[in-house]
Amino acid sequence: MAQIPLPRPYQDTEAYWSAAKEHRFVIQKCRDCGEHQFYPRGVCSHCLSSALDWVEASGSGTVYSFSVNYRAPHPGFAGKTPFVLAIVELAEGPRMMTNIVDCDPESVRIGMPVVVTFDDVTEEITLPKFRPA
Amino acid sequence: MTPNSDMDVSTPRSMRDQFAIVGVGETTYTRGSGRSTRALGTWAIRNAMEDAGLGPDDIDGMLSYSNNDSTPATFMAGDLGIRLNFFMDCYGGGSSTEALIGMATGVIAAGMCKTVVIFRAMNGFSQVRIGGTGARSAVPVDGDNLHSRAYGWQSAGQMFAPSFLRHMYDYGTTPEQVAMVKVVHSEHASNNPKALYKKRLTVDDVLSSRMICKPLHLLDCCVETDNATAIIVTSIDRARDCKHRPAIIRSIAGRVCKPRADMHYQAGPISTVAGHYAKDILWPNAGVGPEDIDVTGAYDAFTFTTMLQLEDYGFCKKGEGGQYVSDGTTRLGGKRPNNTSGGHLCEGYTHGMNMVIENVRQLRGDVDDSCPIGPDGKRQHTYDYREGGCRQVKDVELTANLGWANPGTGSAMVMMRG
Ligand SMILES: [Zn+2]
Repeated sequence: MAQIPLPRPYQDTEAYWSAAKEHRFVIQKCRDCGEHQFYPRGVCSHCLSSALDWVEASGSGTVYSFSVNYRAPHPGFAGKTPFVLAIVELAEGPRMMTNIVDCDPESVRIGMPVVVTFDDVTEEITLPKFRPA
Repeated sequence: MTPNSDMDVSTPRSMRDQFAIVGVGETTYTRGSGRSTRALGTWAIRNAMEDAGLGPDDIDGMLSYSNNDSTPATFMAGDLGIRLNFFMDCYGGGSSTEALIGMATGVIAAGMCKTVVIFRAMNGFSQVRIGGTGARSAVPVDGDNLHSRAYGWQSAGQMFAPSFLRHMYDYGTTPEQVAMVKVVHSEHASNNPKALYKKRLTVDDVLSSRMICKPLHLLDCCVETDNATAIIVTSIDRARDCKHRPAIIRSIAGRVCKPRADMHYQAGPISTVAGHYAKDILWPNAGVGPEDIDVTGAYDAFTFTTMLQLEDYGFCKKGEGGQYVSDGTTRLGGKRPNNTSGGHLCEGYTHGMNMVIENVRQLRGDVDDSCPIGPDGKRQHTYDYREGGCRQVKDVELTANLGWANPGTGSAMVMMRG
């Protein structure tokens, strides 16, 4: 069976993916202005500081919007439809693109509280996903 | 002249009415052209030159865009015997046509060249499909795809669907209202001999077609076609010598972005799109407002994109887009028809350029429908919009094109009858 397209970690994102492998969900927090950001970047997109720390996020959030996907976008998703593409607003503020799992895809609603869960796709890559809280 | 003298030449207002589109051309819209993008592109450019009454010696600038397949400008120019003083091939999709027309006016104003042809050549069905399946699937995952592709976010429909769903949530927009975009564009396409899909559809047809990614049904999505299109831009003085009445460029907003354009949903409400920002450039520079526009060309990669753009450019109040696209305003015979060719939903998909071409023809009063051609060689329009009939709008003076790359980026243009 075809593999799904997998991220190739690079300088700015290695810490994120290695934490995910240990089932820790980390995001960047700015030491200067205190804001969080996702995805990982070289500068704080709020104050442009480069003093960014990795902090463990609460893993809580709400569904900001979503789509239920009925068509495999890639051979690696064959047999996995329907699945939920979601934008989750994290408790810390940033929004991230992810999947909502462990529920009926048609039961997902905007505003629904969700928590992080980890999908060990390969030995190298674990994807943080979300399930109903 | 110093920058602060009495005439402020730094503002785009000084460009108003100084440039025009003088030629348009296209190939047929097919699913399986059997030809290269190079062959298709040269045909479209040749047709545009013929339409303008210009030859290869009259063209000295060339611009193109692509994000799937294309052929570079230098090859097109070589095949056509055009010697270039300026050319550029850039990356981009649906927000490119208006933006590149703006670039053309800028390079002409700078004296770098005199007359620019802009083309888009793609085998969007048979070679590299936009998003979805095909060659795109094999592209390595990096950059901004790093946090999306592994989750199955890939096609344009998937990327935009959350904006559409959120609009329904924020404003009570219904799938029935938005399906009317397809219904109306299919009516227009039925009066367009060039359209790939000419069948008139109903709201039920749209809502009973299979779900692709909620809230998008199959018929909420545009067609995929193989085709090339071309547009010729020149200064107003040269435009007066061309074959047709010029479509005068009043104002352009080019690739205007929402904050955080890299991932538009990370800033502000995602049910608001780039037009919210672009309108503040488009209308003041045009010196007119949405209420003055006779025909719109709001990008219809999906039914929802038309609705969101018409709303954010101010054709109705924020949140009332569903009402606007379903109350008859946008159909032929209505107050302000949209995409009279049938657009991407029905005519064919060429990343926005065919909607500009259609509005140029509307401004000339010379759309290529089935109305009879008179002894003067001009079409005798009947203004009978029944199936298979006329699609010329009466007395078109001003048109607006609203180009869409994604919810976070858009371009727009106002044109005036010459
Ligand atoms: Zn900061």
